[in-house]
Amino acid sequence: MVEVRSHIRFLLNGDDITLSDVKPDETLLDYLRLRRSLRGSKEGCAEGDCGACTVLVGRLSGGGLVYESVNGCIRFLASLEGCHVVTVEHLNGQGDSLHPVQQAMVDFHGSQCGFCTPGFVMSLYSLWMRTPEPSDAAIEKALQGNLCRCTGYEAIIRAARAISSYGKSANDPLALERAAITARLSALRDGARVEIGSGKERLVIPADVDDLADILVTSPNATIVSGSTDVGLWVTKFMRDIAPAVFIGNLEGLRIISETDGVLSIGAGVSYTEAHAVLSRHVPALGALIDRIGGEQVRNMGTIGGNIANGSPIGDTPPPLIALGASVTLRKGGERRTLDLEDFFIAYGKQDRAPGEFVEAVHVPLPGAEVKFAAYKVTKRRDEDITSTLGAFRLELAHDGTVAAIRIAYGGMAATPKRARAVEAALLGKPWTEETVEAALAAYAEDFTPLTDMRASAEYRALAGRNLLLRFFAETTGFAGPLTISRYKAA
Amino acid sequence: MTLHLKMDDRDDRYRLDDMVQGLVGTPTDRPEGKLKVSGKASYAMDVLPDDVCHGVLVRATITHGKLRDLDTEAVRALPGIRTVITGKRMLRNPAQGMAGKAPVQGSDDIAYFGQPVALVVADTLEQARHGALALRLTLEAKGDAVVNPHDPDASVEMPKKEQVLIGDLDEAMKKAAFSVDQHYTTPGHSSAAMEPHASVAHWHGDSVTLRGSYQMLAYNKAELADALGISEKNVRILAPYVGGGFGAKLGISPEAVAAALASKELGVPVAVSMTRQQVFETTMRRSETNQRIRLAADENGLLTGIGHEALVSNLPGEDFSEPVTQATPFLYRGENREIVHKIARIHRTCAGSVRAPGEAVGLTVLEIAMDELAEKAGIDPVELRKKNIPDQDPTDQIPFSSHALAEALDEGARRFGWDKRNPKPRSTRDGEWFVGMGMASAVRVNMLIESKARVTLSADGRAMIETDMTDIGTGTYAILGQIAGEMLGLPMEDVETRLGDTEFPPASGSGGSFGAASNGTAVLLGCEEIRRQLCKKLNCEDADMTLKGGYAIVGNKRIALRDVLDGDTLVGEGHVQPGKAEKKVRQATYGSYFAEVGVNSVTGETRLRRMLGVFAAGRILNAKTARSQCLGGMTFGIGMALTEELIHDRRDGHMVNHDFAEYHLPVNADVPQIEVVLLEERDEWANPLQAKGIGELGICGAAGSIVNAIYNACGVRVRQLPATLDKVIDGLDEAT
Repeated sequence: MVEVRSHIRFLLNGDDITLSDVKPDETLLDYLRLRRSLRGSKEGCAEGDCGACTVLVGRLSGGGLVYESVNGCIRFLASLEGCHVVTVEHLNGQGDSLHPVQQAMVDFHGSQCGFCTPGFVMSLYSLWMRTPEPSDAAIEKALQGNLCRCTGYEAIIRAARAISSYGKSANDPLALERAAITARLSALRDGARVEIGSGKERLVIPADVDDLADILVTSPNATIVSGSTDVGLWVTKFMRDIAPAVFIGNLEGLRIISETDGVLSIGAGVSYTEAHAVLSRHVPALGALIDRIGGEQVRNMGTIGGNIANGSPIGDTPPPLIALGASVTLRKGGERRTLDLEDFFIAYGKQDRAPGEFVEAVHVPLPGAEVKFAAYKVTKRRDEDITSTLGAFRLELAHDGTVAAIRIAYGGMAATPKRARAVEAALLGKPWTEETVEAALAAYAEDFTPLTDMRASAEYRALAGRNLLLRFFAETTGFAGPLTISRYKAA
Repeated sequence: MTLHLKMDDRDDRYRLDDMVQGLVGTPTDRPEGKLKVSGKASYAMDVLPDDVCHGVLVRATITHGKLRDLDTEAVRALPGIRTVITGKRMLRNPAQGMAGKAPVQGSDDIAYFGQPVALVVADTLEQARHGALALRLTLEAKGDAVVNPHDPDASVEMPKKEQVLIGDLDEAMKKAAFSVDQHYTTPGHSSAAMEPHASVAHWHGDSVTLRGSYQMLAYNKAELADALGISEKNVRILAPYVGGGFGAKLGISPEAVAAALASKELGVPVAVSMTRQQVFETTMRRSETNQRIRLAADENGLLTGIGHEALVSNLPGEDFSEPVTQATPFLYRGENREIVHKIARIHRTCAGSVRAPGEAVGLTVLEIAMDELAEKAGIDPVELRKKNIPDQDPTDQIPFSSHALAEALDEGARRFGWDKRNPKPRSTRDGEWFVGMGMASAVRVNMLIESKARVTLSADGRAMIETDMTDIGTGTYAILGQIAGEMLGLPMEDVETRLGDTEFPPASGSGGSFGAASNGTAVLLGCEEIRRQLCKKLNCEDADMTLKGGYAIVGNKRIALRDVLDGDTLVGEGHVQPGKAEKKVRQATYGSYFAEVGVNSVTGETRLRRMLGVFAAGRILNAKTARSQCLGGMTFGIGMALTEELIHDRRDGHMVNHDFAEYHLPVNADVPQIEVVLLEERDEWANPLQAKGIGELGICGAAGSIVNAIYNACGVRVRQLPATLDKVIDGLDEAT
């Protein structure tokens, strides 16, 4: 039997916090602003889009301590068990002076109305501690999840480039106190399960993955909360009850990434950021795609497992994973089953997951050097946008230049992430030539009947979906000159 | 003592140029920056009294009809619920800018989907949210709600004074060597300021203090008093820091009145913050516009006629209508002119001011049409505009106060490398990308609004400015300090600026780009009054007195101000009012935009590659904040060109994309390197600062340059903004 306690413990700036009055749907931002009167963090949207609520969360990971920027507005308080929360109020310079990040923002006029500013400061703080001399690309990535309506961002970018000229991140209090904080967080790990409240206020934080499996057997309809980048919105936007809620973000056992015989197994609790670190090495195109999911805060919280388990037709990871031939392991109690990822998605809002079952890991066969792979996310807005259409392509050519293997999967084209089986059939065994590809385009109509919504019209999706195959062809054949894209209007 | 000025004529004294402190015009940092980067600047919801209760607005889920009943008893029985506010004083929608009186009130009549009808107040925010969710409304919908401006059942008004007819445009079109006659649309926009509307109300006896997020406190005070049915003297509004406004916070809005009503009933402070969705749906939107432009030109490209017709919309009973054609009467030449302005009364969220009402969308469309004319006439777009700059306002037949459009066009073209543009569309490729350049003119009318400020020079030689002016991110704290420091010879650190409190003298407020010039003039006048008193003490003429670094220099004497004051405190109040000057001349700010875009041939995505804005707005008071205003304005323009669009459900008019996930403000990746150039200019007709407004100029026409660049890149002429990928890709076929 695991030990059970009825309070959570975490560090907030310099303080040790123990809380027994925590509700499953209480957000970190509400806690900070209303219960702690720490009002530097702002609520701009309450759905993780604007970043005005950005705070840092430090957690133990593989023996080390990592600090990541997160959206306080959709992060649940209960998920902070065993973590160190750092808010803008914790930033201080020497004596009366400002912190280097803050001074740079002042000097480069990175703040106008100032409401988004604490969030930008925290995002830049996170970047500077990790990468004191960031490239412009790193700065842009760090700021993807922060909106500013006044400045046009340029002043903030210039401030970001200059931070290290104001001080060394090695001398920052968080760096100097790293060992002490690590020790304090380690001391909070007592291996106990947390259970608080009952009925509509019940929440559970399992002690480990086995404990999670046990809990879900007895509470099969519990809401599993991992990164809360989706479940957070159920609460803040749709006012849904999520109790009983099971918080799994602290389970190291779900955060394991391992490689066996060319297959990468990614635990369901692995965040986009953690997955990116590994995937971008093995499958660069997938790394680039992950960079376009939400902003940094969302990627630090959201998980690959969650992106699969919620079954959205416009989730960004399922199409490329399906194209790569990934499988998924589901667990219920002590029993596990593994199925092809594409078979997990049954219909809109319906997945092959039984009550009490949870996604434990996804397994990705890594493409060899002979495999050509690409994933293209098309959005109306460059960053922080929901996919209009996303195409992923995995191609193997035979020695004679014919298509030996092809897997194509799309998001945003059907009620689920879906393979383009008719298109694949039209390509398989044929020479990988412009004629073959042009001829295969007609098969799209068999595979997809996209719909019109705010993100794109059906006609657009049908056309752009086809064009992505043409782009893939051009890229894989090393076509250097201006691309000529033939267009096929929907009949 | 108060120094009054009614701006009846030009002011060519150039008082600021007599001064030597050297503050005005410099890129001075905003003094409140340190507070903002530390999270210590206190916005509306950042100062909550210990005994505060929280209110959450409940809104109608029908478009048009009646609220018959609310099940308040059931909600009152829930834990923590203190009261449910509803009734005749609730605001239907925010007051229009500078209304100075309450907007339509009463929760019984529903005029749009999302109209606030009640406020549920509880001990905690969570309880209030729960109560608001649980409150059952009995609503009776009328079946005939018109929600689309094109609906044949929509009642359409054509106010007489908004229509202009000069000459014979039809005839000019017939005779024209080159002409354009096209229809264009722009969608609704949201200001989308980062700080949601929020108010904390607290009564003391008969008086209420409201801490809110507002732009124009003197007007807001009158609006709140009227809405509550109390005297203005019993209302105090505080807004020391405002997290952006862009027009959305010009008038008092429903959460403020609801908070005040609840606080009055309960005898405790009540805080109400709108959710982001509520901000979208229950504050102000910029009206969608349907525009028709007719341009007639002779064989040399000289305009002989301009027609600009606009159909906009608003709720029944609202005075405001988007002044789409505002700059059309005076921007370009042409003897034959026709302006048509129509307002459809429909049941959508109230339409009001969003950054640069009028020119933001009207000029953008006019500049797209000008690009079409340039193409037809085979004239370079820059040249076409230059040759059509009139000598005087062609409609009102009055001179221009100052006019730097030609200079802005030349300077922009030179800096941007416009000569490298190939006028033929689709002539530049970069891999998958079509690359092209476009340009547009910028223009925005200039205004002066009555404003007061009090300047106090204390015995210790430090100055303090007090006014109920706001700083919504524009730089008011910096600019007013610079003006006072300049006039009184004090460094910035010796001037304190206190804003955002209606106990202080009433200012213009922030809006219409007039804040810095109007309120800055009031500060200048207050300082002139103090200088007069100093001269009296020194027994000299003003012309013989130099103030610098805390010293007065008269003849060969240099005396510390402290010594001059000798224990006295001097107070000067400045009061400026608009006068006949604005009728004698046409005042406006001008500029130019140049943009380069890439259009993706595979997906139809447009990526802005670089952009330049050149602007002239009279004297630039602070090079840093002025530049920032232009950058921010141009970024709004990027949103207007490429992504921003309010989408309404065609059945009930409700706003479908009422959040930041789906209403697409430009993100960092959408905004490339933008260059801003500010031209040297003085406008003596504007005010004694010779400064004009700059807060909105940067959006006026900006989107036009991007849309024109898309055409040059790929040959697709987008006439329905924004130029999203589906519209562009649709045109790519036909354009081949």
